[in-house]
Amino acid sequence: MTAAANNSAVLRATNVRKTYQLGRLRVPVLRGVNIDVRRGEFVAILGASGSGKSTLLHLLGGLDAADKATTDTGPASIEFEGSDLIRFSTGRLDEYRRRRVGFVFQFYHLLPELTVLQNVTIAAMTAMGKLEYWSKRGEVRAHASALLERVGLGHRLQHRPAELSGGERQRVAIARALVNKPDLLLADEPTGNLDRVTGASILDLFTDLHKGGQTMVVVTHDEATAARADRVVRLVDGSVVAA
Amino acid sequence: MYQFLLTHRYLTSKVMPLLAALAVALCTAMVIIVWSVMGGFLVMLINSGRTLVGDVTISWPITGFAHYEELIKRLEADPDVAAATPTIETYGLIGLPDGRTETVQIKGVDGPSYTKVTGFADTLYWKPIDTPHPKDKYKDDPRLQNHKLWEFCFEGGKNLVRYEKPERGNVAVERPAVVLGVSVSGFNIREQWGFYPGQARARQPDGTTKPVNTILPVDGSVTINVLPMDTKGRAVDMVARTFPVANEFHSGLYEIDHKTVFVQLDALQNMLKMNRATRVATDSVVTTNAKGEETFATPTVLGEDPARVTNVLVRGKTQSFESKAADALADKVAGIYRQFAKDFEGQVPSSTSIRILTWEDQNRTMINAVRKETALVLFIFSFVSMTAVFLVLAIFWAMVSEKTKDIGILRAIGASRKGVAGTWLLYGAAIGLLGAVVGFAIAYGVVTNINAIHEWLGEKLGLYIWDPKIYYFSRIPSDLNATHVTIVLAGGVLASCVGALWPALRAARMSPVRALRFE
Ligand SMILES: Nc1ncnc2c1ncn2[C@@H]1O[C@H](COP(=O)(O)OP(=O)(O)O)[C@@H](O)[C@H]1O
Ligand SMILES: [Mg+2]
Repeated sequence: MTAAANNSAVLRATNVRKTYQLGRLRVPVLRGVNIDVRRGEFVAILGASGSGKSTLLHLLGGLDAADKATTDTGPASIEFEGSDLIRFSTGRLDEYRRRRVGFVFQFYHLLPELTVLQNVTIAAMTAMGKLEYWSKRGEVRAHASALLERVGLGHRLQHRPAELSGGERQRVAIARALVNKPDLLLADEPTGNLDRVTGASILDLFTDLHKGGQTMVVVTHDEATAARADRVVRLVDGSVVAA
Repeated sequence: MYQFLLTHRYLTSKVMPLLAALAVALCTAMVIIVWSVMGGFLVMLINSGRTLVGDVTISWPITGFAHYEELIKRLEADPDVAAATPTIETYGLIGLPDGRTETVQIKGVDGPSYTKVTGFADTLYWKPIDTPHPKDKYKDDPRLQNHKLWEFCFEGGKNLVRYEKPERGNVAVERPAVVLGVSVSGFNIREQWGFYPGQARARQPDGTTKPVNTILPVDGSVTINVLPMDTKGRAVDMVARTFPVANEFHSGLYEIDHKTVFVQLDALQNMLKMNRATRVATDSVVTTNAKGEETFATPTVLGEDPARVTNVLVRGKTQSFESKAADALADKVAGIYRQFAKDFEGQVPSSTSIRILTWEDQNRTMINAVRKETALVLFIFSFVSMTAVFLVLAIFWAMVSEKTKDIGILRAIGASRKGVAGTWLLYGAAIGLLGAVVGFAIAYGVVTNINAIHEWLGEKLGLYIWDPKIYYFSRIPSDLNATHVTIVLAGGVLASCVGALWPALRAARMSPVRALRFE
């Protein structure tokens, strides 16, 4: 545990539920999840496939909406620095995704038409007005290049994602997630699609970032990956179970 | 900012949107070409239509009206009137040197004053020219040589006389002559640079034919037959007279060039018995004198019938295409006529029954027909251009589906709904703009070379779309109007935006998680 972990929670999810409606069938995927993430902490969410890890991460990242609280279920909230995401307007959620969190996906999710560098700068663009970007484009590019350098892709700036290996693509995705200096880095099985060696190098990168003070939540079904975290939250069938 | 980056990238890496842009280009080009040709047609029609009619016409058909010299004097005294000229309009038959007879419109004009009121002199075809038409590679145009002859023809044409060698002395004899529309005789075969005489063969009484000189103004003559009317509008015997041809004119309006013959005013007045005449009493032709012999008495002169014309054409000081200018002049002319009719009451048509028409009135049916036709064709083509909207819509719909994951990614990294919709709209606008620019380039190329293209089509494929017999003009007119072009191009961009709008909204409404899961 790092010292930073003693700080108050950056993110606190309380009694979070998510139910999918499949025709007439209601499929509860998250059944009242509670989770805290403190500043500087590296939390792993461990669970079997289908346990609802991705769903939870999407809710934490403001990509999807949790169920509305009812009298039956009791109050629910996902508090980020004290304010509740569940009550955010669409615009505020956009803003949250834009500046506060960075997402890394299992399948990288890069834009195939853009170069490596553009895939990173585009995230910065979304967080800036046109004029702001135009006046700071030099800085932004330098910052993005530095990040790509740091993830070991300094020599690949002008390549297309299709020309990269899986590990390299995931590094680009990590650089993209970091470009707006997010308070929170969310990663959904970032090594799930990579071989062991490449996966290990990606995990090393996460460990490095964590040492640099980055707060992060990494979803995995792999015990070894979870072992690198400060804290492991186990998810079974949509509920957190004691470690 | 990312909207621009993505638009740029999508545009340069996909074929589909370029097809959409091409569709927009073809549609805008089509509409611009149609509008330009129809618009040019209208402008040319108006221009040619007014070349030979002046700005305002005072008209009393068939029987004509008298004291026109006085009317012209009064008209010309007005500061707004540049000039006025008397004319006679009637119908008749023309006998051509090869034995054919055609019905034609006959206009009696006074050369010098008619030239002042109309563009008559400019339409005269036979005049000396120095530089051949750029397409006349072999300098075939006869007007390039023999300048002296064409100088005479030109002068003769302007005055409606043929100058001939006198039998004695050296002062040329002026014979009243006619000026034919360039297509009246059928001898002039049109070439790319204009008209030049072809070969005509005249039928002989024995059934054979022999070639005849086809440049009528050189030594040809024609017979004009007209039907005079008395002041009550009753037909008198047909009158025929042979005239030398002074020149031929080319107004550009096929109907006019094909069917009009100008005759010297005095000569036509004579033929139609509209010249000044002495009226005598008919009851006392034979009298018995003191010796009881019957003698022919000098007829009692009852009065004089003044010369008559059917029209007086007026040209205004300011030359304008505005209907308003012509209408104002017409009002002025009507005022002058009112006073004139009052002063000559009982001798000239009353101011309420006389017809005063502007050049636009005279060509109204033709102009309105073309205007309506233009509107209709534009409507149809714009409607057809809706296909471009649907094409953009379909292509964008497909592209939004294909790019669903990109949309999820964009949303995940913080792009707003508005931003995502904006990306697709911008993309649509970019495709529209690209299409519009290319469309304009195509349209510009086609419109400025439309006659060359038409000739090429005719030469290579035997495809002649433009038949001068139907379309009044021997060349396809065009008028690339900046306002029209702007409207069409803006329409093209707008249509693309409209086509992109629905898919854009669909993209924006998509839930980011669903979009990300999309494979
Ligand atoms: N959009 C959806 N509609 C219906 N069911 C879904 C949807 N997304 C996920 N699920 C279901 O929710 C459960 C949890 O999914 P997920 O969060 O992706 O699990 P994990 O990431 O732990 O593998 C699965 O049974 C999955 O089928
Ligand atoms: Mg998952």
